[in-house]
Amino acid sequence: MAIENLVRGHAVHRAAYVDPEIYALEEERIFRRAWLYVGHESEIPAAGDYVLAPLGGEEVLLVRQEDGSVGALHNRCAHRGARIATCPGKGARTLRCPYHAWTYRLDGSLLGVPLPDGYADAPRAGLARVARVESYRGFIFATHDPGAPSLTEYLGGLASAFDNTVDRAPAGTLTRFGGRLQLEYRGNWKMFMENALDLVHPGFVHRSSVEAARAHPEALQADELAQQAAQMFLANGLPGPQWGEVPLHTFPGGHAYMGGFYRGGVIAPERADPVFARYRKALVERHGEEKTRAILEVDRFNNLVWPNLSLNARFAALRIVRPLAADRTVVEVQCFRLDGAPEEMHELTLRFVNLAASPASLVASDDLEIFERCQAGLRDRASDWIDMRRGVLADERAPDGACRSPGTSEAAVRNQFDAWKRYLCRS
Amino acid sequence: MPVLKAQVEALLLLEARLLDERRFDEWLALFAGDAVYWAPTRPEQRTPADGLSLLHESRALLEMRVARLQRADAHVQSPPARTLHLVSGIEVLPSQDARWEIEARSTLVVAERRGAESRWFAGRALHVLRRNAETLLIVMKRVDLIDGDAPQRALAVPF
Repeated sequence: MAIENLVRGHAVHRAAYVDPEIYALEEERIFRRAWLYVGHESEIPAAGDYVLAPLGGEEVLLVRQEDGSVGALHNRCAHRGARIATCPGKGARTLRCPYHAWTYRLDGSLLGVPLPDGYADAPRAGLARVARVESYRGFIFATHDPGAPSLTEYLGGLASAFDNTVDRAPAGTLTRFGGRLQLEYRGNWKMFMENALDLVHPGFVHRSSVEAARAHPEALQADELAQQAAQMFLANGLPGPQWGEVPLHTFPGGHAYMGGFYRGGVIAPERADPVFARYRKALVERHGEEKTRAILEVDRFNNLVWPNLSLNARFAALRIVRPLAADRTVVEVQCFRLDGAPEEMHELTLRFVNLAASPASLVASDDLEIFERCQAGLRDRASDWIDMRRGVLADERAPDGACRSPGTSEAAVRNQFDAWKRYLCRS
Repeated sequence: MPVLKAQVEALLLLEARLLDERRFDEWLALFAGDAVYWAPTRPEQRTPADGLSLLHESRALLEMRVARLQRADAHVQSPPARTLHLVSGIEVLPSQDARWEIEARSTLVVAERRGAESRWFAGRALHVLRRNAETLLIVMKRVDLIDGDAPQRALAVPF
């Protein structure tokens, strides 16, 4: 079937999820062309610091240059192809291949090789540079497509999510901390992105944790950990119609975000406790009262940058969705310190990520199970078409292509497939 | 010490068996009211505030985990997992933390079968124990998997 026919009206062909040939096209036309998040500036603070990141089926090195800029190099020796680095490094002056010691400058150019006379022509090739690398407010993105638009243009309506995350730091910068969690599921990568903005599922998929919290009301008075957990679990128990009142905003390019739905307790957008008061005071010192109020008023849950990034500004955490095959996906979860904020705020962040996004989470584990069930079900050929029309009559589209929908709409799924089709059809 | 060592070994084996037999309420009763269950992502983490954890749960949160495990609508346990804990190399030591009395270090291998698939976990466990009259209560259980920061599929039953 021709690719342009895989999305028909408000339905998508199941091949989009299960067909290895479609997956190979996605790798080539989406994951090698779209801007992908590869790392944060705080991970490589000084010249010669480097980290490794997957990018479109390959591995790249993000290297802090002598001039302070960020370089992105293919992690592949120009000689015999060995990986140059296997783990992050600090303060390197050169990058050296372990095999025949070809040695490169931090910008990837060749500095020298041992026994150069042995090569008929003196070697000149350096480490290949990644076509494009750009940073937005400390978040580094890269792409193999030299013709990609600028990163800011690409982020479009979702640049504001990064602004809000950084603006929440009293010192004006973020620092990555806490290592990483990684989840894996035997399902298609798109399921994670679709589910992240699906507000009909929580009441059903997460019912067991909602009911477990309702059965243990004493948890709300117990230690901080149990309190935060119970408040998060209970938040998924919103009565059905109220999910519709959570706004869902979609933007051209496949990006979208939804409003927050954490209303009270330690997870509320503004709190009354002494830690939050200290934090707020630090923010006012930096931004003034009016701007502080505006920053804290931004109440969104998941901010999605298509194709594979989910950012939570309020808890300074992000998830990177990495497809391994049509039916296999890894999600990496990372979090950040709001520089200048009280230390207790970072414990809140760690708890949020552990509780919401660990593979052992009482919430996320059920999502992973559902993705695997969908993947198994979609191998069934009884019907080829998957419906995504829920809420289509309620879309309020603005002239610039942005659209506001009720939280119960599948608008984000439709919007993701608009971008998907556009990238996939561009040969 | 021989009596104590035998008592600690019996506790660790009982704890493992209660998990394997899905007797989660009895399992939970082995933990003190102020107990913490902690599975960090990396062995070098000193406290839960150092970094992300697979599980970091107080007794009150464990109560919710156990309540959920017993519900039919906990999708990740439909069908339920069948587990087998192999606890070995138990060492009983005086606690390094003056507040408590005893620590037990052990090696742990957990085999899990669910649906059509099997998987294995391997790691080290640390149990911090408090004497309570004639019995021992778990004040903290820490499990360091050898691959805590590697991709993991959904986890529901504690290690």
